[in-house]
Amino acid sequence: MGNLAELLHGFTIAVTVPHLVLMAVGVLLGILVGVLPGLGAPNGVSLLLPLTFGMQPVSAIILLSSMYWGALFGGSVTSILFNIPGEPSSVATTFDGYPMARDGRPTTALATAFGSAAFGALIGVILITFLASWVAQVALAFGPPEYFAVYFLAFASFVGMGGAAPIKTVVALAIGFAIAAIGIDTVSGSVRLTMGIDELVKGVNFVVAVMGLFGIGELLVAVEEEFHARAVSSKIDWREVFRAVGRLPRHSVALLRSAAIGCWMGITPGGPTAASFMSYGIARRFSRRGRYFGTGEVEGIISPETADHAAGTSALLPMLSLGIPGSATAAVMMGGLMIWGLNPGPMLFVDQKDFVWGLIASMYVGNIVAVALVLLTVPVFAALMRIPFVVIAPLIVIICVVGAYSVSNSYLDVVMMLGFGIVGYLFKKLFYPLAPLVLAIVIGDKAEDAFRQSMLMSKGSLGIFFANKLVTCLVVAGIALLLLPLVLQLARPFRKSTSPAAETAAQEKVII
Amino acid sequence: MISRRALELATAILTGSFGVAVVVQSLDNGIGWSSEGVDAGTFPFLTGIIILAGSLYNLVRGIVPAATLASVPIAITSIELWRLAGLFVPAAIFVAVIPLLGMYMASAAYVFAVLAFPRHQSVPWSAATAVATALALYVVFERMFQVSLPHGALAAVLGF
Repeated sequence: MGNLAELLHGFTIAVTVPHLVLMAVGVLLGILVGVLPGLGAPNGVSLLLPLTFGMQPVSAIILLSSMYWGALFGGSVTSILFNIPGEPSSVATTFDGYPMARDGRPTTALATAFGSAAFGALIGVILITFLASWVAQVALAFGPPEYFAVYFLAFASFVGMGGAAPIKTVVALAIGFAIAAIGIDTVSGSVRLTMGIDELVKGVNFVVAVMGLFGIGELLVAVEEEFHARAVSSKIDWREVFRAVGRLPRHSVALLRSAAIGCWMGITPGGPTAASFMSYGIARRFSRRGRYFGTGEVEGIISPETADHAAGTSALLPMLSLGIPGSATAAVMMGGLMIWGLNPGPMLFVDQKDFVWGLIASMYVGNIVAVALVLLTVPVFAALMRIPFVVIAPLIVIICVVGAYSVSNSYLDVVMMLGFGIVGYLFKKLFYPLAPLVLAIVIGDKAEDAFRQSMLMSKGSLGIFFANKLVTCLVVAGIALLLLPLVLQLARPFRKSTSPAAETAAQEKVII
Repeated sequence: MISRRALELATAILTGSFGVAVVVQSLDNGIGWSSEGVDAGTFPFLTGIIILAGSLYNLVRGIVPAATLASVPIAITSIELWRLAGLFVPAAIFVAVIPLLGMYMASAAYVFAVLAFPRHQSVPWSAATAVATALALYVVFERMFQVSLPHGALAAVLGF
């Protein structure tokens, strides 16, 4: 196996003292942004990006990816101990994690979460190890129609499988595309959709949208419910850690299913947030103990956590081999790659073997470092959360304002960020999904370019999307996913038992 | 208080008007096919139409509420609205005074105001937090990240 030899070579790059130190630093910073609600992995990684310009690309990507792992773990800590999701992707962990911790089993909840998270990440990395170079090889033959079909499939899977009301998902997606189109059109060079504001020529950076939608929007949702960080004990009982991890194999069905959902959602740009919600929803429907979900069920923690980390990890696969980021954070990292002078996409596997395999090897090591550090530092970061919310909230507002400003030193960005905050609050309140909106902003331009280039190739005929087997399969699968909610709705009158009202009410509770 | 129905309608109208704006603006760039391929306005035009159609659907769903909507008639109670305003209004004022006061003074004033006026913290303690915030911002951004934050019109007048 050529891949294994390459991987071993990667380990000789990743397991060196400077790189291990970088991993520890990255993980700790990541846990910090993960713990603070309103500050997430995308925000954190983009704040750290300027520090990496003087580094070797492989060292820089190890630092940034370690921060990503740390943030994924950190978000679960506050979800479980305080019922406050530090990251959007760990919202689903609060449903069962907090009740279990409140019942006096915080160690069990944390160890179960970290154990299943590590399992999810491991599956994700194994997938990358064996699939990434193969996908890259296939993708070398991709043209614009194939790329557009991949984007189409990714967005269709949001509508068909995202779980939120399909029309609301479509509206959120389309708004994202429209926002992505603001500014200078990359194909014709003409200025679009500036609404009479000249400064909008530069476009709307997705970091501005992320800070508002997730940062301010989440703060508003949090402040609405009278907020008490009633911390459950954050002491770690080490024997219970090993016992809880030892019990995980009993739930191997849930683990494998969640890892599969996570990997799928990570590779198609669904991202960790959608993955964890979907996994939780599916687990509740199929688990024998589904009725008890929400009261501290073990599988209610395993499912979102495994899927969250599997998605977070495998989101790097399409970034590396196709140049399509699988999550918002991966999109920021892709920006970093381009700044360091690397060209994300299939050629990376030919030209930059050390970089690719050093990164993949560092994922194995980095996740072990992350699990160890997060367990050791739980009391420290839990103490941080004892600072009253009235003090934390204005500080997060300031961080979001400064973060939005520093993207391009623009005051308009700050005002837009605040506007996105209101939109984020309304959308959360009414169960419009936010993840498709952000992903459409990130890769909307690329999808449009791919579409227009395909049209140029075919002189305006849509037939190019059915020109060969590969592209036809992708497009047909996408259309099928788009029509899935419609088919389910039409089929509903023929099913007798479950009342649709109860089902949607439960669904709305899950999709936040 | 605000009912779920009113909130659904307001949001659908908000997204719908954005859709209209997108459609109108994209017509300037031309839609359809020209010698250079697909015109620049085509893609935004289509997304605008989709936003508009989807918003209309959501609007109708909001007017004729399904059983699920009726079960949660109230979306935001007046107490919740008060708390929302308590967070958002000071934040909006903070953003509004940045061009005048600059990031450092505005954030210090903001932190002091939201801590001291509702009496969450004592005045000296609020002042200390406010100064610490501004200092931390300066050290992290101006020094470590080399990002210059706006100093404000007032500082420019004073000669900083």
